[in-house]
Amino acid sequence: MKSISDLKISISGIRGIVGKSFTPRLILDFTQAFSTYVGKGKIAVASDSRPTRDMVKHAVFSGLIATGNTPVDLGILPIPSFQVYVKYSRANGGIDITASHNPVEWNALKLVLKGGRFPFSFEAEEIIDIYQQGTFRKENTFPKKVYEEDAFEYHRKRLLSFADLDVIKEKKIKVVVESCNGAASPYVEEFLKKLGCDIIVINNDVNSPFPHSPEPLPENLKQLSDAVKKYGADIGFAQDADADRLAVVDEKGEPIGEEYTLALGILSYLRYKKISPIVVNLSTSRIIEDIGKEFNVKVFRSKIGEINVVEEMLTYDSFIGGEGNGGIIAKDVHLCRDSFTGMVLILELLAKTGKKVSELKSSFNQYFIKKEKIKVSLRQSLLIMEELKEKYKNEKLDFKDGIRIEAGEFWALIRPSNTEPVIRVFIEGKDKEHVESLFKEISDEIKRLRR
Amino acid sequence: MNNLRVSSSGIRGIVPDGLNINIASDFASAFSTYMGEGKRIGVAIDGRKSGFLLSDAVISSLSATGSNVVFYKVLPTPILQYLIKNRKVDAGISITGGHNPSNWNALLLLDEAGFYLNSIESNEVFNIYHSKEFNKVGWQRLGKIEYNNIDLKDYIKKISELVNFDIIRKRKFKIVFDLSNGAVSSVIGEIARHFKIEAIFLNDKTEGYFAHNPEPNPETSSQVSSILKNFSFDGGFVFNSDGSRVSIVDEKGEAFSEEYTLSIVSKAYLLKKKTPIITTVSTSKMIDFVAKEYEVSIFRTKVGQSQVTHTMEARESFLGGEGSGSVCVRDFSNGYDSILSFLLILEYMAEKDLSLSEIRKEIPEFFLLKYKVPVAPGKMYGAINHLKEVFKGEKIDLTDGILVERKTGWFNVRVSTTEFILRVIIEAEDKEKAFKIKDELDEKLWGIL
Repeated sequence: MKSISDLKISISGIRGIVGKSFTPRLILDFTQAFSTYVGKGKIAVASDSRPTRDMVKHAVFSGLIATGNTPVDLGILPIPSFQVYVKYSRANGGIDITASHNPVEWNALKLVLKGGRFPFSFEAEEIIDIYQQGTFRKENTFPKKVYEEDAFEYHRKRLLSFADLDVIKEKKIKVVVESCNGAASPYVEEFLKKLGCDIIVINNDVNSPFPHSPEPLPENLKQLSDAVKKYGADIGFAQDADADRLAVVDEKGEPIGEEYTLALGILSYLRYKKISPIVVNLSTSRIIEDIGKEFNVKVFRSKIGEINVVEEMLTYDSFIGGEGNGGIIAKDVHLCRDSFTGMVLILELLAKTGKKVSELKSSFNQYFIKKEKIKVSLRQSLLIMEELKEKYKNEKLDFKDGIRIEAGEFWALIRPSNTEPVIRVFIEGKDKEHVESLFKEISDEIKRLRR
Repeated sequence: MNNLRVSSSGIRGIVPDGLNINIASDFASAFSTYMGEGKRIGVAIDGRKSGFLLSDAVISSLSATGSNVVFYKVLPTPILQYLIKNRKVDAGISITGGHNPSNWNALLLLDEAGFYLNSIESNEVFNIYHSKEFNKVGWQRLGKIEYNNIDLKDYIKKISELVNFDIIRKRKFKIVFDLSNGAVSSVIGEIARHFKIEAIFLNDKTEGYFAHNPEPNPETSSQVSSILKNFSFDGGFVFNSDGSRVSIVDEKGEAFSEEYTLSIVSKAYLLKKKTPIITTVSTSKMIDFVAKEYEVSIFRTKVGQSQVTHTMEARESFLGGEGSGSVCVRDFSNGYDSILSFLLILEYMAEKDLSLSEIRKEIPEFFLLKYKVPVAPGKMYGAINHLKEVFKGEKIDLTDGILVERKTGWFNVRVSTTEFILRVIIEAEDKEKAFKIKDELDEKLWGIL
């Protein structure tokens, strides 16, 4: 098989490598397709801190003006703040220039519709259809772009009214935060000060390169851990480049793992905000089920992908949810993954329980979770999935997204990636050895079928 | 009809039917690829509504192909050419429709010395443009984008060394300026203050709405004329969108043909320095009298800034221009500069203590007839070839289209490089003779257009 193109056109927008597929012509066309789709009005434009942001942004402006829409330039902005802005400024939609946790050579256009949400899959398909037809609305009004001075304002206001300010302020929690020199950098220090935190910021300069891969995984948190230990902080927070995901380091400098970010956030919400069904995706740890039991609320599992979680939160009238990758969603602030919401919830939990982060983590059941990918060509991947369905047909299966096997102490999720030629395998259980042996069984089966 | 026109001066058309953002993106990418990675390219617009539409596409494409960008926003092309010559930037793209109506725009390419590209260079850019093989650079080598609010100090300082600064200031001129809602609006205030000119500025908003076509000539001078007829001023000047052309209105409100600009500026410049004059086959013979008066030679090229300025360099001339109201003074910059032109005229007035109407009298008057004949793109060259056949027995010059020289006058018919028209210029001893030639041409062209 030939190598797969770096260009990814998907439900969440269009993504590629600058210098390869992600060219001005591509950006112009895709922007025009989106702009044609959303109708006429104001379209918000923001970016994360990637060094390619200005090149991309100018092409986006041009594409919007060509289709008769007014670009509103918000500068560098976290994606949750961007979504909140689109909603409350009554913009007709938005394009955020961010490749999220992908390495620096990547960039992407993330599309946001009126009301500040990502497109549902049918909407994304319509936009992609317009893009592929290549016929866009043509206008000769050429609206002038406008600049927004403080685009974070709407988000800030919502967060501050969401937080139990007095209680958090009183505790003067000592926090180290690192924003990966990403989109949250200009805002996070000022925001945490408003929560009365004693704050130390690291990697907080949008004009510096990413200090490490911008995905908030434990292996990328070394600097944060060291800083937490050095300053004797109560907690360390790491935001990814577009500030939707949050990772946490405990007071000893130990990363607690992204699954626990979500668990702490949901625990705090159910205990101190209100009771609500929970929605998480299929690959999220079952710690969430334990929390659901504790509060006697239902846990619904959606397909992988932020918009799918959001869609099910709407369906089940849920106020709290998220993804096990550190993406907490609280509807009170906005229906999107939001590291700021995550920080508020976790700080509130610390303030109100008076407990340490490590203590809170150890109060949950401890599971072992394994996430691996196995190389499989695109052509083979669907056939292999069919074979696996047959093989495990006697287990309790769920086909919502790939195959999810529920087997007593364990669950496993097997799904082909739509961004790489791989099949992803997630397994979680109480016993590490058991998880390893189950993983070996599944991966051996995939490798056998692959031949 | 194809609303896109390509020529050595760049790529031009009605936006978006002819010139659109994809074409602008590819053309900027081709130019950037041609210039080579790592150059600093200045980008300017002229205040048309489509300016930012095209500049955003251009800036993104320059950056993506490895050129650094300095974006000046609204800036006259001659000032960009001056900045290039003085090494503030390495090359330029001026996004301007020049004298074309407001729905037009163009990307003009400026080389390392601030010249319009010559035909060989622009061929190469077009080859790259059509091949679509643009330089692609990864994120580390992406061009940087700077936003520069132009500092005019240096430009004004250099211009004040070339013209007699004191004599202009002392005269305390009162002038009416019509900026045609173009780029000169962005700088004229500071220049007027510097030279102590008491000024009225007409049409100086660059919001994209044009009060009249931005083509300096007696027709578009009516607003300036009406002020001058009723109030006491020393004169008026009408500029085109990008500041490459200017026409003159005298103190009585009499609007001069734009053909006078080159002759009057030449009189002013030749007082300082003798140099051969380069102009085009389509420019009035007035300039021949000025050349004779100052005993300098004259050489005529094809029409266009690229042709004239490159010939000036080749023939070591410092003065050149066209009957459209354009003048290049090459010891200052390698482009047509209307700001320098009007200051040279003021200097001449002050030095000789003459009014504009008196200066006009120094130049013998002919009757000039200029008009456009709309023509389908496919028929333009056929029409010229037909005329070559018709007039082959007479004294003709084929430098650009066809020029026929007769005892009582001359005429030139050529294909416009910027619009789908034939441009006709007829110059004769009097009106009657000029119209006689026009009737003859109408008859010859009848039926083949």
